[in-house]
Amino acid sequence: MASNNVKTPEGDLPANVTEIILESISEGVFTVDKDWRITSFNRAAEEITGVAREEAIGKHCWEVFRSNMCESDCAMRRTMDEGAPVVNASAYFINSERRRIPVTVSTDVLKDANGSVIGGVETFRDVSQVEALRKELDGRYRMGDMVSRSPAMQKIFTLLPQVATSESTVLIHGETGTGKELLARALHEHSHRKEKPFMAINCGALPDTLLESELFGYKAGAFTSAVKDKAGLFSAANGGTLLLDEIGDISPAFQVKLLRVLQDNTFQPLGSTQTLKTDVRILASTHQDLSERVANGSFRQDLYYRINVVTLPLPPLRERKEDIPLLCERIIARMNRTRGRAVSGISQEAMAVLMSYDYPGNIRELENIIEHAFILCPDEMIMPSHLPEHLRPNRQDAGAVDRGGIRSAKRSAEAQSIIDALARNDYSRQAAARDLGIHKSTLFRKIKALGIEPPATDGRSNRNA
Amino acid sequence: MRIGITVWGNIISPVFDAARTMLVADVHTDGIVNKEKYWLHAGSPVLQVETLRRTGVNVLICGAISEVPANMIEGAGIRLIPFIRGNVEEVLNAYLRQQLPTADFMMPGCGNRRRRRRRGRFRQ
Repeated sequence: MASNNVKTPEGDLPANVTEIILESISEGVFTVDKDWRITSFNRAAEEITGVAREEAIGKHCWEVFRSNMCESDCAMRRTMDEGAPVVNASAYFINSERRRIPVTVSTDVLKDANGSVIGGVETFRDVSQVEALRKELDGRYRMGDMVSRSPAMQKIFTLLPQVATSESTVLIHGETGTGKELLARALHEHSHRKEKPFMAINCGALPDTLLESELFGYKAGAFTSAVKDKAGLFSAANGGTLLLDEIGDISPAFQVKLLRVLQDNTFQPLGSTQTLKTDVRILASTHQDLSERVANGSFRQDLYYRINVVTLPLPPLRERKEDIPLLCERIIARMNRTRGRAVSGISQEAMAVLMSYDYPGNIRELENIIEHAFILCPDEMIMPSHLPEHLRPNRQDAGAVDRGGIRSAKRSAEAQSIIDALARNDYSRQAAARDLGIHKSTLFRKIKALGIEPPATDGRSNRNA
Repeated sequence: MRIGITVWGNIISPVFDAARTMLVADVHTDGIVNKEKYWLHAGSPVLQVETLRRTGVNVLICGAISEVPANMIEGAGIRLIPFIRGNVEEVLNAYLRQQLPTADFMMPGCGNRRRRRRRGRFRQ
């Protein structure tokens, strides 16, 4: 009797070897005929979709594999139309429990022995665990409402819980738009005072008299328009946290009044003879160099030492450009939520433009840029043309981009990031590689490939010094 | 009563979350009196639900739907009949004959009684 087995150099394999392989792999596999009806459905496909094979066979593929791609961008349809395979396209399908299951999908045409197309084959992999891990990793880069991968910010994130639970006054130093208030809020949220109010006042925006009435409050009749008592922020924030934003802008006269509150935890509302006690944790922030202000005599030294117990320096965005993609992702997600949009991301070309800009207005400016792009972007992807005019390369440069200069834009952004990282790390290549999140040999290779001039001294010479 | 059905050609759109068109049918005691099509903002549950509210549908018949838009729709007081498949006219007639949801029109694996458990061999 003739055997149906398949002959191989290693011996006979059963005739249904393909079926056995398909049943044992962890990727879901199904095939469809030319009418899009499922003709085979392996065990992993059953596991991942939660649909039994006997229910799936003969049904239209979109009824079983209910994916977001089906209606607008079906990978299988693309393959059937163009005859070319689709590899690892990202999508999700919805299971019977209303859960979106993220998957990667690959498709190819299915031909018979004569080479005629008889349908298509689709393989898919459940990437829920990968997504969960990605989210967990994202969590490591998040503190309160702040996100960052940069080493300088990671240092702050590490310190933050300890600093938050202490009762010390904290001075937050950073340029405008770097997120000083967000950091202050995160300190409050991680402190024992989180159930009590968090309040903030911009000291630079108010004249002394108004600042005094806002902070200390006043009694009725203290001044012409004071018709009834008003509690100040030191009373309103009692038990909580008060952020004195732009503390460097307050006048020398008001510095004395503030010092008294910080020293004694007491204050007097305007027009009152009574001294009130306050239990407020003070956080102060400034964009100025207060030590320089102390040196030139325009800021009181005793107040400086009182507020400068712990200093948290927030780096400007140009010094942590590696955060731009992460920040963009967060800003886009928030704007999608609040504006009911479905922008999925930023094109590589637009990202290269964003990476090559210096952001004098820091994260606030980046937010404004994305908002601008949101208004102009009709589709899902933000392109260079949606960015504000002043960011876009000029016409000559744009021509270069059109002629394949996207690569050169990427190269220059990459080179700039490496130069910045080297400068940040005292030209230590090892530290710069760590900073950039790449292996040092990759960094060496890139330095060579991008033609970055080695500095006269570097980390090794420093170490040897 | 106004019935909304997310459609893709002449069939029910497979996934509400990615659906682009909704057919709205006005039903009176003597049957369907009017049908209109509305564009849906695929991928934005907020705008999709806003369209449902604006069009005043009382019932939404759709294909697969994820938790977020489903909760928003039910929260808006709209009766949701999800995981329905098939020809739009047949589904609409089945609804009018009060034969929805039934196994004939349910998507595979979404039957009311027997739900296949994911054994989790490949998941954790």
